[in-house]
Amino acid sequence: MDEHYKPFLFEGGGKEYFRIWIVNIALTILTLGIYSAWAKVRTNRYMYANTYLNGSNFEYNADPIRILIGRIIVVSVYILFVVFAEHLMMFEVAAGIAILALLALPWLIRQAVSFKLRNTSYRHVPFRYVGKTRDFYAFFLLHGLLNIFTLFLAFPFSYVRFKELILRNSRYGQGEFFFKGKVQTVYEIYFSVIGWMFLVLLAFVIVIAVISGFAMEGSMGVEEVLLSGMLEEESPSSEEAGTLITALASVFMVFIYLPLIFGQKGLSDAYFSNYVRNHTTLESAPFKGEINPFRLAWISISNVFIIMLSLGLLYPWTEIRYLKYKLEHTSFACEDYDQFESYGYEQGSTVGEEMVDFFDIDIGI
Amino acid sequence: MLINAVLYDGKSSKEHEVVIDFTPEKRVIIVSHEIDVPLSEVIFESRLGNTPRVLSFENGMRCKSRENDKLDQVLKEFGLSKSKAYKIESSLGLTLGSVMITIGFVWFMLTTGSTYTANALASVLPPSTLTEVSEVTMTQLEESYLKPSKLSDRQERIIQAHFNKLTEGELGYKLHFRSSPTMGANAFALPSGDIVLTDQLVALSQDNEFRDILGVLAHEKGHVVKKHSLRIAIKTGISGAIFGYITGDVSILASTIPTILINSSYSREFEHEADVYAVKELKKMKISTKYIATLFEVLEKKHGGEENATVMSMFASHPLTSERIDYFKSYID
Repeated sequence: MDEHYKPFLFEGGGKEYFRIWIVNIALTILTLGIYSAWAKVRTNRYMYANTYLNGSNFEYNADPIRILIGRIIVVSVYILFVVFAEHLMMFEVAAGIAILALLALPWLIRQAVSFKLRNTSYRHVPFRYVGKTRDFYAFFLLHGLLNIFTLFLAFPFSYVRFKELILRNSRYGQGEFFFKGKVQTVYEIYFSVIGWMFLVLLAFVIVIAVISGFAMEGSMGVEEVLLSGMLEEESPSSEEAGTLITALASVFMVFIYLPLIFGQKGLSDAYFSNYVRNHTTLESAPFKGEINPFRLAWISISNVFIIMLSLGLLYPWTEIRYLKYKLEHTSFACEDYDQFESYGYEQGSTVGEEMVDFFDIDIGI
Repeated sequence: MLINAVLYDGKSSKEHEVVIDFTPEKRVIIVSHEIDVPLSEVIFESRLGNTPRVLSFENGMRCKSRENDKLDQVLKEFGLSKSKAYKIESSLGLTLGSVMITIGFVWFMLTTGSTYTANALASVLPPSTLTEVSEVTMTQLEESYLKPSKLSDRQERIIQAHFNKLTEGELGYKLHFRSSPTMGANAFALPSGDIVLTDQLVALSQDNEFRDILGVLAHEKGHVVKKHSLRIAIKTGISGAIFGYITGDVSILASTIPTILINSSYSREFEHEADVYAVKELKKMKISTKYIATLFEVLEKKHGGEENATVMSMFASHPLTSERIDYFKSYID
């Protein structure tokens, strides 16, 4: 069985992608944002088309016009909400919009899942999603309450159930995906991520304590830092915290906060990606994730510094670097790539997808 | 011309190696699959880097070919142009142009652009908005940092008279006298036109007629007139949006870095703008700038050694550089 495993390959390059990325941004600026829908399609097409499995690549088939319509709807509702809440001070109307949006959320998330799958194809056979809307309502109601009452201690359990809801209803042609994972493993992942973060933070604290040990006397106390933070928030006009505070905050941000946050992001992404891949099959064909969590954490942290030092210009390169590493440490063992039958391409609403996109919600597909 | 491709029939995931023949009669022929259609019925996906190009046929079949350059040549011979986006992406000049447009736009929005946007936004926003936002802020400040003023009637009367003259004929400006041991010697303006002056600052005045305080009030009015709070909000918003769009998922950067960048580097610019405004107003009222220069000197001496004394103070937050004092002095006639 093992010799059937074939890794995904990624052929995209930073230089080539840089051009696509910068032209996308420039055209988006020049068209006052309208081109952003085409930009999204071009970016996704580039990423999908450069992903190869067993010598064939993936395709992204979304229609930019539909994406634009979805985008306009989402942005309009959001603007409406902001105008009512912050400018007209009509909180009843704003709350009404928020409640409607909240009620529609499970439905929209299902739409987003379905959008991502049906617009992806491999060998001209599209993926599909057959999950029911009512299952999404049931899921969010049940697990929402569960997590409120358990103060999110049940989150790993909900995570596994959500992955089941997504993957078990995903199809490639007639092929069915299956996912079965242990909740215990997810708890272990959380413990190791928190554990590593704690150790790193402890190391930082020790280093800082040693360095500043001599200079402690007479320097700024914690209360003053806190007070300035509070004051800054309430500060109405151009008054803001002293330059010293700003400098301290910047140093803290750059050397402690950012590595910690982005290291944690890479670490969790690797653990969870491996977990999902190692418990997912397409019919009887298994996936395998061999992403090294520390390597991905390093990529994530160094990427942030590369982005900052290049003032954002090397962002395309970092994006490709991250994606390439993840994909090329994922593999799939299928005996017959020819066996899948197409159910045809479907169109559908793009509002869910654009909502998820706009608010940057990670539904993990 | 012959082009190697992979054909998918759209019914299954099977791959077929095929050769596509583009004939001079503008027909597309794939012998092995009995395809013989006019070129106009084939949809060519626009080229994207060097990814395999997709050709879609009306019967649902798709071909993919990695021979991008040969395909471009075919299209050129048949008078069909390359896709516009690819044309831009593949031209060095236009790519560099895109870099310039992007950098120029970001730079513009963070500098002069924010002034225009703030002005445009302020004219669109209902006036009640600024007032209500300011009222909320004022209430919060009253609760935590401000106490009733203990100034004498005479002091209040003189300063109020200055203020009335300063804002003569203009609606919306209001002066609040407050005491604030926490904030110390300070004055600040809310976007609505409410200006707060602390007793602690008045106590430092070196002029019996409080002409130095008038200078401070003019400076604060400058913040309101130049819409500095709105501009800061807009700059933060814009740079957040730019960071967010460019870096996609790096949302933490999007929300925090711009705030720090802006708070540290733009405050000086705004302070200077308010100083310029103050000088202009003082000249109009025929009052020498020597009074405010003297007050600033006193403040500098007082705060010189203890930078972190009262953090929010307008004076402590942007240490009184001698440049600012010199600026005021340069206008003394």
